[in-house]
Amino acid sequence: MSYQEKRTIVSIITGLFILVAYGIYAFEKYQSGVIAADDIKAWAGIMLVFIGIGVVLAIVIQIVFHILLSITIAIQERARTGRCGDDKEIEKTISAKMVTDEMDKLIELKSMRVSFIIAGIGFVTALVTQLFNYPPAVLLNVLFISFSAGSLLEGLAQIYFYRRGIKNG
Amino acid sequence: MAKKILITNNIRQFRFFANEMTQQQLAEKVGVSRQTILAIEAGKYSPSLELAFRIADAFGVKIGEVFDYEVKGE
Repeated sequence: MSYQEKRTIVSIITGLFILVAYGIYAFEKYQSGVIAADDIKAWAGIMLVFIGIGVVLAIVIQIVFHILLSITIAIQERARTGRCGDDKEIEKTISAKMVTDEMDKLIELKSMRVSFIIAGIGFVTALVTQLFNYPPAVLLNVLFISFSAGSLLEGLAQIYFYRRGIKNG
Repeated sequence: MAKKILITNNIRQFRFFANEMTQQQLAEKVGVSRQTILAIEAGKYSPSLELAFRIADAFGVKIGEVFDYEVKGE
C-alpha cells in the first residue's frame, strides 16, 4: 500500500469519527430536548464546534501519521541495509516515498468531483426539505451530513482510483 | 466517434537493460513516486508528455522507443 493510500485511509477514518461523534452528540441533545428542531442558532453552534474539532483532529492525526510513517520507514531501511547512523540516506528514502506527483494530482481532481456531486445533491435535498415544511435544523443537518459524506466518498474514490488506475482524458 | 488509443510501454525491458534498475530508482530519477511508475508499467496510468520524455531521457533513448500506442477496435 502506497503512502497516498495510507494517508487517504487515515483521513477517511478521521472524517468518519467526526461524523459519527456529531451524529451521536446531536441525536442525544435532540432526544433529551436540550435543543429544539427550530433552534437554528444552537444547531449552528454545535456544527461550528464539530467543524473546529474536525480540523484540529485532522491536523494532529496527519502529523502523528507522518511521524509514525517516518519511523517505520527508518526502521525498515535500517533493517534492509543493516547499517546504523546513515540518516541522510534514510531521509532521502522517506522523502522519496512521500513524493506527490502528477498522478496524485489527477486522482485528487477526479475524486474531488465526487465530493462536489454529493455536496450538490445534499444542497438540493436540503432546499427540498424546506418546501415540505421540515424544521430548519433538518436543512442544516442535511447540509452538514452531505458535505461530510462527500468528503468521505472523495477519499474512497481516491483509493478506488489508486487501485484501478486512472487514464488521462 | 474518436477511436480509443491505448498507450503501451517498454519500461520493464528498459529497466532490465539498465542493469535491472528498480522502480524506485527510476521514480527518483524522474521525480515521481514508485506507485506512479508501477501504474505506468501496468498500463493503469498514461503519463503526461513531460513525464514520458523524462522517462525516455532516464534511459537515454527517444520517447518513441519507450512508449507506443495501439488503436483499440481496429
